[in-house]
Amino acid sequence: MQMRINWAFAEFCDEARSVDEISDRFMAEVRALGFAYAACSSHVDPLRPPRGAVMMVNYPRLWLERFSTRGYAARDPVFFAARRQALPFQWSDWRFRAGLDDDQIDILNEAADAGLLDGFTVPIHAPDALPASCSLAIGADGVDPLSVRDAHWYAVYAHESARRLVNEAAPPDRPRLGRRERQCLELIARGKTDFEIGLILGVSEHTVHNTVRKAMRKYGVATRMQAFVRALRDGELRMEDVAM
Amino acid sequence: MIHIVTAENRRHFHHALMEMHRQRKAVFIDQLGWRLEESAGLEIDGYDSAGAVYLIEADAPRAPISVSARLLPTTQPHLLGEIFPQLCSEPPPAGPAVWEATRFCPAPGTPNGAPRRAMLGRIIAGIMETGLLFGIEQVTFVASAALAPLAARAGWTVRALGPEQGRGRERLRAFAAEIDSVGLRRVRARHDLSGPLTRFMPADLAQAA
Repeated sequence: MQMRINWAFAEFCDEARSVDEISDRFMAEVRALGFAYAACSSHVDPLRPPRGAVMMVNYPRLWLERFSTRGYAARDPVFFAARRQALPFQWSDWRFRAGLDDDQIDILNEAADAGLLDGFTVPIHAPDALPASCSLAIGADGVDPLSVRDAHWYAVYAHESARRLVNEAAPPDRPRLGRRERQCLELIARGKTDFEIGLILGVSEHTVHNTVRKAMRKYGVATRMQAFVRALRDGELRMEDVAM
Repeated sequence: MIHIVTAENRRHFHHALMEMHRQRKAVFIDQLGWRLEESAGLEIDGYDSAGAVYLIEADAPRAPISVSARLLPTTQPHLLGEIFPQLCSEPPPAGPAVWEATRFCPAPGTPNGAPRRAMLGRIIAGIMETGLLFGIEQVTFVASAALAPLAARAGWTVRALGPEQGRGRERLRAFAAEIDSVGLRRVRARHDLSGPLTRFMPADLAQAA
């Protein structure tokens, strides 16, 4: 999936002093994209989050109470799938539903009754963060597929920015990227495919793929979007390099 | 019928557009093995935008899709200009009267042979009808060695923009096709199409449907 970047949102998050500020802006952005509810958060009890958890959630209150009382964080199939896979998935996709236990299907049905009928989840993996994901519930009018693409940016940028605010520990040594790695991430952010980047840099598509994988490994993340956002927040890439 | 989906009415085609991107993932990534990005089971690339025009064949906005295609204004970023200029001996046609057709996508499981040829005929007729409606004179496209002769046999006046390039099944060639009423009549005659296939619902009517 190609990236679509809202720089104003990134600048807002960079300046934000609290997770609540980021959360409010994030919710406004994804609502404008057609999502009724969102939960960009660590996989924890939403009403009793531990220290260091990222919590940006506007799910219906009744659902959160039920989720918390019944300890669903330990069984939520969305959390399960988000931990096992790198790429975003849709809740109505049979590949997501196949192999779920009965009690997990029950959780999905109860969530649907609470207004969380169908939606998308963006898994978020990082070595220095609690397991997390960003779930976006589709409103009654459905959602434009382009909104699914656009929401990916908001989800990852918001989570990374919030994580930096709640992580009190001194940041570990920041990985440094090589010149090729930076170039590749920059071109990905400009919407280029591996094939196109290969043409631009005069290397094979395969080399581009491996270079991007190397950058992802350095950050310990599972998606290109996360690697790009980390590189930005670490100052390895600057907005001016990428913004057109 | 073939729905014309544009920036104006796309908010009433969320379901169909979602299904189209799902089919594109199934066809181009799962079946043909194209190295494209996917996410959440959807194939969406950097050229998909509200500015693109989509042709989606379905009996109703929420009915199953049989075939889809994407038309990009060449006044915006498009593939022939950015990715495949090497396929053109001269600068490729571009401008307000030129569109580029990409992502011709028969539904997964469409049988080979006659059903696919009929589908190609219908989508070409759909592209011509839409082109005439929007004042388009030429449509460019990049096709594999296999697909190119089919477009000409469907009745389209097609000219190559450069020599074929690449190897084996990945051999590609760029073409420009004329959009005119004579050509449309010819395509319709070849495919036994008695009248217009496309429907362009303005936003307020689409809502009523």
